[in-house]
Amino acid sequence: MSPTFAAENKLEKFQTDTSVIAVERGVDTFMNACHGCHSLKYVHYRDLARFGIDKERIATWRGDSTLDSAMTSLLSDEAALQSFGKVPPDLSMIVMAREGGASYVFAYLTGYYLTPEGMTSNHLFPLTKMPDALEISTATDSVKRSEIMEQAHDIVSFLSWAADPQKAERESLGYYVIGYLIILTVLLYNVKLQVWSKLKT
Amino acid sequence: MANKIIAWIDHRFPLTSFIKHELTGYPTPRNLSYWWNFGFLAGIVLMLQVLTGLFLAMHYKPDAAMAFDSIQHIMRDVNYGWLLRFMHSTGASAFFLVIYIHMARTLYYGSYRAPRELMWWTGQGLLLLLMATAFMGYLLPWGQMSFWGATVITNLFRATPFIGDQVVVWLRGDYAVGDDTLTRFFALHYLFPFLIIGAVVIHLVALHSVRSSNPSGIDLADKDNIPFHPYYTIKDFYGLGVFLMAYFLVVFFFPHSVLEPANNIPANPLITPDHIVPEWYFLPFYAILRAVPNMVGGVVAMGLSVIVFAFMPFLDRSRIPGGGRYRPVYRIMFYLFILDILVLGYVGYVPPTSKTIIIGQVATFIYFGSFILLPFISKAEDKWLFKRGLPPKILALIASEEQEIAKRGKR
Repeated sequence: MSPTFAAENKLEKFQTDTSVIAVERGVDTFMNACHGCHSLKYVHYRDLARFGIDKERIATWRGDSTLDSAMTSLLSDEAALQSFGKVPPDLSMIVMAREGGASYVFAYLTGYYLTPEGMTSNHLFPLTKMPDALEISTATDSVKRSEIMEQAHDIVSFLSWAADPQKAERESLGYYVIGYLIILTVLLYNVKLQVWSKLKT
Repeated sequence: MANKIIAWIDHRFPLTSFIKHELTGYPTPRNLSYWWNFGFLAGIVLMLQVLTGLFLAMHYKPDAAMAFDSIQHIMRDVNYGWLLRFMHSTGASAFFLVIYIHMARTLYYGSYRAPRELMWWTGQGLLLLLMATAFMGYLLPWGQMSFWGATVITNLFRATPFIGDQVVVWLRGDYAVGDDTLTRFFALHYLFPFLIIGAVVIHLVALHSVRSSNPSGIDLADKDNIPFHPYYTIKDFYGLGVFLMAYFLVVFFFPHSVLEPANNIPANPLITPDHIVPEWYFLPFYAILRAVPNMVGGVVAMGLSVIVFAFMPFLDRSRIPGGGRYRPVYRIMFYLFILDILVLGYVGYVPPTSKTIIIGQVATFIYFGSFILLPFISKAEDKWLFKRGLPPKILALIASEEQEIAKRGKR
């Protein structure tokens, strides 16, 4: 509801793919590229299992952590402060916490470029402390770039699911509730007509 | 058997006569339009908020270190916690929407006119209570916008003469918004709905004494009244069905549209968000606050912009009933006023630029100007309409109202 983010107009509309396969690929890339620094403290490994991802696959990601533990990063706040000067934000809600949502996060991840001076910067967030984790700024050939775009797409799909894991359940329940209300309202309207027809004009 | 039980109760408690007096025999004008559904809807939303709030309170932690996490706990771990939370957050917006339509109807049809001034004033009190409750509830998720919204608004109380600084500390329980503020806002957010329920009872007692207004603007003769039950119970329930469809459409498919993205970031006293924006239902008043360059002036203007509605029964000098229905000038004023509120809402929403500041100031002038000019405009309009000759329909209405009043005087 807040004022339009200046960059939002330029954001390409992101098509979230919250199929199990896409999310599973997203988790895999996330564990390799992001989880070293970023936590997902509201997401537990068991949530992935409940979503439909294979438990053996989850075992490869969680290492020594139990299935019930949260997907927290091993990087301590102190170490992060020393390396980056900032504690990397928890990403559980990141898609919900930015104007533009998934479109913003996708544009941010793929927005890294090399300045003429050879420094890495970001179109969306020039002052970012995060390194170009997907290495898109140095990727020159188009095959490599589109591969990275795919990876970013999967990560953002996974993060979209992580921020709003009940979306599928909510919407499928929603159809029943709205359907029920339509029938109920039509019936009520007919009763209303019937009751009011008794009234002498 | 059932009759015996009822007779037993009636001997000790006026059950049957109460139902007869307030429902099956309660006379209601037969010409009410669907704009008269919104009082009932407001009552339903109030109940929805109380019920969902009760269950949310069972899982919520009013502690600065745990509040944000406990919301995510509700959203992710509590069975149907997401449904409770989205119903409550959407319900807040629905409540204001319903109340604003309810007020707009009262303004358009002149329902605040005698003898319904007390209805209008208890309603005004209800609006203030609702605003306070919503404001305190918004702190509870302990997100960035919760924290900074509460900081900005409590800070306005510095405008209190002589004891401003102490009042702010007293409200916050600390020098800055913090854990103490959160805990007391939670306690008050739980208390205020009961005050609202009490005020609603007064509102309804007054209603059942003066009875519903109606689009004609006068108190109709007995033959034009019908019992509330079954005619208006079924009409209200049909309206409720339509309302619930819209409400649940948001709850299930667009619940995030009423939530601020910045509020999904935990409160951080060290980082101020780029734009601190209140919820949509406060935007016009927020724009008025910002339109006045001086802080004290802004606070006074904002307070007045809410309270000023209470003066409507005195400001409207026209003798013609039915409000905007039979009064072309008043009708134009009404629509301009609604448009002005929308403009103010937009100005409150966008980050201030030199252009929007001017627009906001002009809109604020029009806002207060409407009220200040209303006595003169309504008087002049009244004179003009009488001089031009009123349509027989309105003359009949006025005559019938005078008759009613005379009859009542005799009783």
